[in-house]
Order: sequence, then structure tokens, then C-alpha cells
Amino acid sequence: MLLALLLSLTCVAVLRPQSADLPSGPLQAKMKTACLECHDSGIIVQQRLGKAAWTKEVDKMIKWGAVVDPGDRDAFIEYLSENFPADKEPDVAPRTARAKKK
Amino acid sequence: MISRREFVLGASAAIGVVGAVRPLLSWGADEPAIPGKHGMIVRSLRFLDLEMPVEYGNSLITPVEHFFVRNHMHEPSTVDPGEWRLSIGGEVEKPLTLTLAELTKMEQHTVIDTLECAGNGRAFAVPHVPGVQWEKGAVGTARFSGPRLRDVLERAEVTPTGKHVMFRGLDAVPGKVPAFIRSIPIEKATDGDTLVALHMNGAVLSKHHGFPARALVPGWIGAASCKWLTEIEALDKEFDGNFMSPGYRMPNQPVKPGEAVKVEETHPATALNVKSLIARPGDGASVKSRTVHVQGVAWAGEADIAKVEVSTDSGATWQPAQLGKEQSHYAWRLWSYSWNAPKPGTYTIVSRATDTQGRMQPDSVQWNPSGYLINVVDRVQIHVQA
Repeated sequence: MLLALLLSLTCVAVLRPQSADLPSGPLQAKMKTACLECHDSGIIVQQRLGKAAWTKEVDKMIKWGAVVDPGDRDAFIEYLSENFPADKEPDVAPRTARAKKK
Repeated sequence: MISRREFVLGASAAIGVVGAVRPLLSWGADEPAIPGKHGMIVRSLRFLDLEMPVEYGNSLITPVEHFFVRNHMHEPSTVDPGEWRLSIGGEVEKPLTLTLAELTKMEQHTVIDTLECAGNGRAFAVPHVPGVQWEKGAVGTARFSGPRLRDVLERAEVTPTGKHVMFRGLDAVPGKVPAFIRSIPIEKATDGDTLVALHMNGAVLSKHHGFPARALVPGWIGAASCKWLTEIEALDKEFDGNFMSPGYRMPNQPVKPGEAVKVEETHPATALNVKSLIARPGDGASVKSRTVHVQGVAWAGEADIAKVEVSTDSGATWQPAQLGKEQSHYAWRLWSYSWNAPKPGTYTIVSRATDTQGRMQPDSVQWNPSGYLINVVDRVQIHVQA
């Protein structure tokens, strides 16, 4: 019973598997609200793009429903361009857990 | 209408609960647990995008647990097979709706198909292009079975105006994201090998692979094979939607890296390119013996593999690899090559496939703005110790 309760509480506490967090900074909270509503951070942190390409991506996501205050659009683009530029070394992807050996 | 948040929670719960209990089971702290998907490279957890590590490219049939997953949207949270229906309409004489039981009773056809995401290899595009940064393993081969799409369409009696066939899945679309709907030409839909697949490797389709039914368009990019299929519509023209245009299109002419391409100068990506993959040894491997056994797979979409060559000197000279005996149209071919390194040192091993249409893998990335159908020769660097 106690174990069942512990399991259920743990499930509630960490419902989502975690991807790499977005870099800290004044935009982090707004980025999480606008972007991670629909997808996780992993798809963001693996991109390596120049400012023009990030601009296209941000505008596409706004068109597709990301809630971004118009006054934050440019700051979003700056944040992404600075943290995930074209010349940054590639992201290292995690692996899913392997099957337990029987 | 379900809100974005409900979709997110539903989809997350499906993969998250096991992840949540993981620490209690003492699994690796950084390894998310996805039931039925073991040791896969995580490109995205939500939406789920999982890549096969190349070492699993060592068998004709890829086990489902190692088969890549490409989702554009959230997976449907639940599908009741008793309630599920497949509707067929559009340019047809007799619109109809089929149950899963009715599809199961139709003549079943089996196709062994190498499915590859159009974006497999996108990570190697320079300059980088946006999208899932697949490296080499958004590809796998499985045995799919189900009724022929041709037989399903015959029941609905497609009219002469039906020139394309559209697939709609049950993907849960967040926000204002366009639904993942694509179409294929009627000729491909009725070629006898395109399926409404119900089984994969002898088992009912798993949720990640489209339960209870998916389109299976053999030899073509994975995006053609719509998962969680619920609607088929015959159209008088190609479907007009984001995932047909501007999505999934190739430039009509080769372009310079970084060059913009007008959509009018593109065409839909369809059949896969000729391509090979070195499964072993792995890139960066340190090999104890001078006798090195190189093995991998090669595929060519709607064509067959004619030969695979291996170079152990960075592509200066080439030797033929031995092709595996198992052959199936649309399926990759195993190959192997045993090589005696002349002395200890670091070597770059390269594989290059040629198909029955005369196509050969290029020695450099053929860049395009979305990083589609990249089929550069495969390379691994190894160190021979003794």
C-alpha cells in the first residue's frame, strides 16, 4: 500500500520525461511558456541555426499557435540565435533506457 | 475539440509514467524509459522522435523495439479498435466505412519494406537546416501486412477523376499546427504493394507505429506512410496542405549549400535514394585484431541494390563487399567485407552503394534547404590496435 502510494506520488511529481533544460536567462521562463506547451526542449536545443533561420522558425511557430507577446519576438530570436548558433558544437542526444536483463 | 494542454498531458502520460518510476528501479538517471523502445537515440520526447543506433542495422528485419519513430504531432491518446473506423471517400462511386474486423477479413498481403525518414542524415547538412537532427538511424526494415490499398479502393470504386489518394491520421494536432495530411498518386496507391498495414513483424501494430492501421507506401519516404490511419480520400489533384507544400519537397535542380529555393522550383519527395550504412565497426571504435569485419545494410527505395563497395583508405580505392543472400524488393540488403589492416593505425572506412537504376551514392552531401534524402557515402573512423 505504502509502495503504491509512493509510486503514484512519484508519477505525479515527474509526469514528463525530462529533456535538456533551456539555458537560463531572462527569456527562459517566457520560452518555456511559449514553446514547451506543445513540444519539449530537446527539439530546440539540437538546432544549430543562424539568425535568419531562427527568425523563420520563430515566425512559423507564432503562426502555428505559439503564444508570444509581439514585444518579445525579437528577444526570442536573439535568445535562440545566441544559445544555439550555427557554429556551436552538436548536441549530444540521450538514449532511452535499455531493456532489463532477465 | 480538445485543448492543447489536454493533448500534451495525454501524450506525456503515455511515456512519462514509466519514466517517473525509473529512479525507483535504479535505471540510468539520464535515460528516459519508453516502453517497448530500448536503447534508442532520443531526438525528441514530445513529439516522440527516436533514432535507431546504427549497430542495429545488422539484420534484414529490425525488431520493433529498435525501429525508429517519427511523429510530427502527439500520438492519439487512446484508440478503441472496436470503435475505430476507416472511411474511404472523395472521388469514388461508393463511399464506405470499414471496421478493423472487416479489414482483417480481406486478403492480407505482406511487404518487407525499408522505411526511412526523408530527413535521415539532416544533421550532416552544412549549413545546418532546421528540423529533427537525424544522423544515420531514422531508417529500419520491417515486415508489414494488411489488405492492399488497391483492394480497399476497389470497394469504393474510384472514379476516373480520382488521380491522388489522401491519407489522414488520428494525430492530435496542437495549436494551429496544420494537420498531418499527405497524398500519393493513384498509380502508387494501386500498384498492389501499397498497403493498409495492420501488422508489423507479425504482431499488431504498436501504438508508436500507427495502431490500429497505417498506410504503407513501400520504397517511399516514411512521411508517405501515414500512421493511425482513419480517412482515405481520392482527390482530383495532389493534396494542398503544409506537408505536401512547402513541406517534403525537393529542388528540381541541384542547389548550392545555403541557397534559397522557390517552392515553384520544387517537387514532392517520393521514392528513397540509394544509400548504405555501416553497422559495424562503430565510428570511433578501437579494434584489437587487424582482421576487421565490416558489415552493414544498403537500400534503394523502389530499386534494388546492385553492389556495395568498401574503401579502407578514405575513398581512394574501392573493393566489392559481399551481398547477403536474403533479398526482398523494397528491403535493404545486408552486406559484409572482411579486411586485413596492413598495420596498426587509424583508418577511415567508407561504404558506397549502387542500385539497379545506376544511381550511386555521392561522396559529399547533396545539400537542400530541408535536408531531405541525404545519401552521402557512409564513413566511420576506426583505430586498429595490433
